[in-house]
Amino acid sequence: MNLSEMIWIAAAACIIVVAGVLVAFSTRPRALLVIATTTSTVDTGLLDYLKPYFDLRFRANMTWLYLGTGQALAVASRGDADILLVHDRAREDAFVRSGNGTHRVTVMYNDFVIVGPSSDPAGVAGAASTADAFRKIAAVAASGQATFVSRGDGSGTNSFELRMWSKAGISPKGNSWYFDGGGGMAPTLRITNEKQAYTVSDRGTWLKLRSTMGDTLNLQILYQGDNELLNPYGLILLNETRYPSIESQLAQDFFLFMISDEGQRLIADYKVGGQQLFTPVFGKPETMGLPLETAAIEYWVAQLKANGMKPPSWVSASQGG
Amino acid sequence: MSGWDVIVAGIAKAVQLILSGDPTVLQITSLSIAVSGAATLLGALIGISTGTVISLKQFKGKSAVVQIVNTLTGLPPVVVGLVLYLMLSSSGPLGFLKLLYTPQAMILAQLLMVVPITTSITISSVSSIDPEVREAAMSLGAGQLSETMIVLNEARLGLLTSVVVGFGSAISEVGAIMMVGGNLLGYTRALTTAIVLLTNQGEFAEAIALGIILLSLAFVVNILLTLLRSRFAGTSSYTPSILVGPSAPRNP
Repeated sequence: MNLSEMIWIAAAACIIVVAGVLVAFSTRPRALLVIATTTSTVDTGLLDYLKPYFDLRFRANMTWLYLGTGQALAVASRGDADILLVHDRAREDAFVRSGNGTHRVTVMYNDFVIVGPSSDPAGVAGAASTADAFRKIAAVAASGQATFVSRGDGSGTNSFELRMWSKAGISPKGNSWYFDGGGGMAPTLRITNEKQAYTVSDRGTWLKLRSTMGDTLNLQILYQGDNELLNPYGLILLNETRYPSIESQLAQDFFLFMISDEGQRLIADYKVGGQQLFTPVFGKPETMGLPLETAAIEYWVAQLKANGMKPPSWVSASQGG
Repeated sequence: MSGWDVIVAGIAKAVQLILSGDPTVLQITSLSIAVSGAATLLGALIGISTGTVISLKQFKGKSAVVQIVNTLTGLPPVVVGLVLYLMLSSSGPLGFLKLLYTPQAMILAQLLMVVPITTSITISSVSSIDPEVREAAMSLGAGQLSETMIVLNEARLGLLTSVVVGFGSAISEVGAIMMVGGNLLGYTRALTTAIVLLTNQGEFAEAIALGIILLSLAFVVNILLTLLRSRFAGTSSYTPSILVGPSAPRNP
């Protein structure tokens, strides 16, 4: 066998191998549902936990893009995802108003907590309100005794944090004590841990990281429980006329699954280290001080029933009585 | 001490995870091998042929072309990722191909990084062949194809190196495949992107396990290269019989 034969054989072999790989990948796996979501629903393990239930029930293959809310909305508005699960009410409403989304409901919530070093140099633990806590951090940070790590990624948590700064009358950007982490919640918490700084986290990601990292996560919850700290998650169905290539049927299945009795129970039952991370709230957003969603809830309860699924118990009860 | 405990425990759990043949780990590993393997083979075909043509042909602006190829070997993966994302996105110019968040898109991204590497190494190894080899082949009346074959045969170790270096850069790449693959569980999650996600989430044992696998892959590929090298260098190919005769008298 001479060299030129060898080269031809090698080239042919390459082409066969590559063709084989391409054919193996050529079809998108059946029923692949791509959820554009925030880092918290991934970092807490919630989606990993829900996946087998949804996949089994709808013979689907549920998967997700790990993004901040800002990026998730951007990716969805380009038609690159099938459904949204995010947490930034103002931008969610704008997304639906612009016609990119058709339906939005509040599906669950958790809350934000302010975490920091146990020494708490800023005395955040004694703050009178969330804005007051931010003011205390800024005051001590200005004298070089504390630092703050921001998500800085346009996520829902980031926009909540910026809202609180502006409420406290402080513009933190550009200060030497203000770090822009530029990443998901769990990485930001790890940076905060290394720097023994302050940050805002959703409670779910905090608890999950606490349970994976144990004592090596040397931070404490210093401020919590203020109504202002509530963190609702919205589920948004995309406009299938505008984005004809999305898996709209599967997206609707997921929407129904999440708001159904089964989905809402599963969310309530998800625990890490014995603690519940998310509270289901479909059908009763007013109980946490959010605006009523009466029309949307009535529509979706009817859709649930039409698809042979049960609405959560509290919704049926209120509808019955 | 406690710092070491975490790492040691991580490694122990990692070994256990690998030995138990965890299906997710297997799936992620095979995706990485398939994607990077395909990108490397395609990249080698394109790069070696392009590199050979560039180095054997004389044309205007040749040194500029060589310069550009060499520059492209340092193509930042995140830039490749960004540009490919915008091209392949549903609202992008190539959106109709529906390639975004697929393994093919990952192959494409890695291909764009492998081609300059294989091309560049081919150019330098072919150019470093003694010009007399070529002249000798020509003077024997060898046709263009067989002349090329003779030169490529001389440059074979360099070509082999280009494939291995190309594979090394493909399999270790993160930024581009994260952006165009989307790191989708069970579909486009590769070793490197999974390590990023697991590290983010503080799941260090799993991250270390995948890291060990990634290192082992690079190790295996390098062993293969060494074996091939010794075999290649050991076989006395047909070149010397052509070369020694005609070229010797010219260079007494």
